[in-house]
Amino acid sequence: MSQPGPTPAIRLVGLEKHFGDVRAVDGVDLEIADGEFFSMLGPSGSGKTTVLRLVAGFEQPTSGSVVLGGTDVTGTAPFERDVNTVFQDYALFPHMSVLENVAYGLRVRGVGKRDRTARAREALATVRLEHVADRRPAQLSGGQRQRIALARAIVVRPKVLLLDEPLGALDLKLREQMQVELKGLQRELGITFVFVTHDQEEALTLSDRIAVFHEGRIVQLGTPQEIYESPQDEYVASFVGTSNLFAPEESRAVLGRDGRFALRPEKISLSDGDVPPGALSARGVVAETIYLGTGRRVVVDLETGPRLVVLEPSTVPTAVERGDKVVVAWRPDDLVALS
Amino acid sequence: MTLSPLTRRILAGLTGLVLLVMYAPLLVVVANSFNADPSMTWPPDDFTTEWWTRAFHSQGARDAVLTSVQVAIASTAVALVLGVLIAFALQRFDFFGKNTVNLLVILPIALPGIVTGIALNNAFRGILNVQLGIATVIVAHATFCIVTVFNNVIARLRRMGGNLEEASADLGAGVWTTFRLVTFPQLRSALLAGGLLAFALSFDEIIVTTFTAGPGTTTLPIWILNNLFRPNQAPVVAVVAVVLIVISIVPIWIAQRIAGDAETVR
Repeated sequence: MSQPGPTPAIRLVGLEKHFGDVRAVDGVDLEIADGEFFSMLGPSGSGKTTVLRLVAGFEQPTSGSVVLGGTDVTGTAPFERDVNTVFQDYALFPHMSVLENVAYGLRVRGVGKRDRTARAREALATVRLEHVADRRPAQLSGGQRQRIALARAIVVRPKVLLLDEPLGALDLKLREQMQVELKGLQRELGITFVFVTHDQEEALTLSDRIAVFHEGRIVQLGTPQEIYESPQDEYVASFVGTSNLFAPEESRAVLGRDGRFALRPEKISLSDGDVPPGALSARGVVAETIYLGTGRRVVVDLETGPRLVVLEPSTVPTAVERGDKVVVAWRPDDLVALS
Repeated sequence: MTLSPLTRRILAGLTGLVLLVMYAPLLVVVANSFNADPSMTWPPDDFTTEWWTRAFHSQGARDAVLTSVQVAIASTAVALVLGVLIAFALQRFDFFGKNTVNLLVILPIALPGIVTGIALNNAFRGILNVQLGIATVIVAHATFCIVTVFNNVIARLRRMGGNLEEASADLGAGVWTTFRLVTFPQLRSALLAGGLLAFALSFDEIIVTTFTAGPGTTTLPIWILNNLFRPNQAPVVAVVAVVLIVISIVPIWIAQRIAGDAETVR
């Protein structure tokens, strides 16, 4: 990713933010390329939102610097930065109509009334909500408010759009629909999106690259595939998707190897004895089966101790049952060594 | 919750009784302002508007109304400025002694008027050596008027959070533009409600006023007290009382409606 040529949209250098004794952000170095869909993924309290607020200018770093498009903006106010934010709770102005909300950024920049109304309508059209222009935010549904907040942020054509868990308050169906819309919008506008979320699936679906946060630091940085297929440590392996984790003593018992390993449930196959050539295997007893629609989750207690979760696609016809003796198998390549 | 018909009837009866005790005397005052008999015998046997004419031509009553309006407007203005500033300070910043300041601001509304009155009287005359007059009344009233403004504004600020202001700054508005276009419109109804309550509080205040007004300063409540027991003045006082009732009810009613509207909008 780090081509030497173009200036990154955002560069964070040794960024730290302390609140009293708490190191909310504890040394973050990061470059986000122009036009990238970049996600910051982590549980609440991992520092991802604080990083976003430092980029927006709502907080000032304890040390380190924020560089936007090659210019060091550390110490400047939010209104001096060419970034816009979509807030988690949308923060729409309740005393203004939807149109006035969307036109706000243009109004405070001194754009004439006629021009800003036209551009605000255009932005509303982008999110397909021209018909609610005259309503108040309180009269809209959650999904509509979400899109108004988006329209309000993109109308001033920022170089970077910061999104703070923008889909967190929506129900599942709407969230999936908005994910598709966000991705399309980002491609259409070509601006850099920095997306903060605690939802690993959302991050995997949307992003060009993901930074996984833990206790104020980035523990892994990479494409969704890199993050999912080769998690660097136990934390990433268990936070992003489900993993079967082998502690050192379990590794020795089951795998005959030293170290920590992770194995994704969908990489394991079940059989009553035939093991594909070259595969590793172990014997066990089925402890639980759960029907998922798209497949079955089978929990197997291995004879050597640990419990494995196996994800069987629904294309496998023979369903095992609780108490069945089975052989679990996987390819050696699918074992991920953790640091 | 379901109540038995009997319970419901008893509760309705009690409510009616309480409201009657509260409001019948007010109606009597209204009736008496039209009572033809100057000694106000009850029931009135004739109707007259003479007292209303007399009251409107009474120089003392008119001066008293004017003084009261001036005091109420001035102390409300002082309360608005100081109340908003304190509310912002306590809501937006953390500092040593914050809770103490909060308590000290609210306390004057709970302090007995007589204590406030004596304390201010001593402070003005004994320590500061200022002449008692309309200015001292304004200062005295402002001490408790601040509370209503403060309470309304801080409640609104709490509900608002800082998010709207951040959104405004994020969209490119400077500090003053944000205050003008976002913060102030959010506070407007809270300011109106707090200001109207403050006005009403000041307008009918009598205890603190007694101790802080000089001999030449007569607010309306004081004028009423002075004239109540004078022969032939009773009916005129009744008229003034009716005017006072109306002037006090209207702001409270408006303030309540504003507060109610603000509630439903959110």
